[in-house]
Amino acid sequence: MAVATFSQIDEYGFERPTTFDYKTYEDFMSKYLRILARRSKRWEELKESEKTRRTNILKRFVRKGIPITRRPIVWMSISGGQQAREQSNYTYLQLKERISNASINETIEIDLPRTFPDNIYFTKENILPRQLFNILSTFAHQNNDVGYCQGLNYIAGLLILATKSEEYSFWLLKVLVENILPKYYIKSMSGLLTDLAVLDELVEINEPILHRHIKAIGMPWAVTTTKWFICIYSEVLPIETVLRIWDCIFYEGSKIIFRVALTLIKMHKAEILECKDLADIVTCFKSMAHNPKVIDCHYFMSRIFKLPGRLSNKQLEELRNKHALAK
Amino acid sequence: MENMATRTQTAQRPNGSAQGKICQFKLVLLGESAVGKSSLVLRFVKGQFHEYQESTIGAAFLTQTVCLDDTTVKFEIWDTAGQERYHSLAPMYYRGAQAAIVVYDITNQDTFGRAKTWVKELQRQASPNIVIALAGNKQDLANKRMVEFEEAQNYADENTLLFMETSAKTAMNVNDIFLAIAKKLPRNEQASGASASGQGRRLAEGDTGARAAGSCCK
Repeated sequence: MAVATFSQIDEYGFERPTTFDYKTYEDFMSKYLRILARRSKRWEELKESEKTRRTNILKRFVRKGIPITRRPIVWMSISGGQQAREQSNYTYLQLKERISNASINETIEIDLPRTFPDNIYFTKENILPRQLFNILSTFAHQNNDVGYCQGLNYIAGLLILATKSEEYSFWLLKVLVENILPKYYIKSMSGLLTDLAVLDELVEINEPILHRHIKAIGMPWAVTTTKWFICIYSEVLPIETVLRIWDCIFYEGSKIIFRVALTLIKMHKAEILECKDLADIVTCFKSMAHNPKVIDCHYFMSRIFKLPGRLSNKQLEELRNKHALAK
Repeated sequence: MENMATRTQTAQRPNGSAQGKICQFKLVLLGESAVGKSSLVLRFVKGQFHEYQESTIGAAFLTQTVCLDDTTVKFEIWDTAGQERYHSLAPMYYRGAQAAIVVYDITNQDTFGRAKTWVKELQRQASPNIVIALAGNKQDLANKRMVEFEEAQNYADENTLLFMETSAKTAMNVNDIFLAIAKKLPRNEQASGASASGQGRRLAEGDTGARAAGSCCK
């Protein structure tokens, strides 16, 4: 039987690392391509209005993955990006004309070549880095509380790769930063610190033994999970898995971030419990991205709605209020 | 300045020194964004250099082992994010650290100012015995220099810091600065703090890749 061979560059332009596990990926893709074809057909069968209107049907469809070609439109519609765009007093082009602050622009310029240096669309061509600059700088100029925060470069970069639209990427970045991930990126990063404390409590509730073990080793959550939260798993997990996570985040909001975190932690419980010190545990967390169960995004996404158990927006809000007040 | 360790030699496991002492030290890198903190670590740990190193979000953790006389010194290195707003996360990385490298970019005066702020913070907040080294990085760009060597040397002398100009790109002084730190660290069991559990434990190979250059286990 012929063995499928995969290019050294993935379909989003990322060079596969020399350590890339082609066998695992091939096993996954041989199944996943069939799933993608089936999902794509199911989406075609939806009525036109059902493809973008927030209903339980669409929520279920989104959890099973938005077809790659539909992502830009569906993301815009389910996240509120389209609404923000229509209700804004200014068009993206008008906002873009305000880019003027030299200090902000300089900070962003420094990070452009440092964003996805392993992606050919960012390194071999000039178009995407320019678009990335426009999005980040336009965003920074219209939100003084956030300005430019490192990490947004990866989010905006992946938005461009997934939507192929500078304007959509801007509006999606805006709803992510301003509505979906409250106060993560402002200068005090208070929302991030709150959510790290919330994660700690959720792990304690869900996995008390694991929690005690991590505490005994003395690992602060910020050490391993700051990047998870700030980059919304981009540059952390495999790209297919990240995009499937983002599908759900745009529909269901930031609780998905906790579902993913708790699933990763629960899935690797045995490995974490074997860790003897901080070095072990950091290595363990880093290696989670290479687990075939995480690479298989379809399987992984089905787990995030089962493994962590119940997690409602109300519960999350209560925990956030508690830990925001505690500081 | 002659560079003793331009190229990282390939793995030479410090088995020969297995009977010697093993000390484990926590070292943190601090400094403004894009001065080359991650590049210094990448050069020291893997002997590599990337012209465009990805910006570090939160922090990265790596380990590297060097041999000094009869002692195996294992560095647990915390490479932190440089952007000002990540500052509030920094204390958890320098808390309990036995050593710090504060990095600035010799072509950018502002980053030297920021380095001084970090030194002040460490002197106030970190453990009193912490060994602090100041690294003026990007020495390969000396033709665009904005911070004079003497200025930084005087500042380092006044504050009893180790000081070297380094280049992660050419590898100049990279191993040397880590070795100089290792030499200044107390190598008895009590002082190596976190190493208590690491004593006698097999060294983790994980991330470390090639062992430290030149200096090791002669």
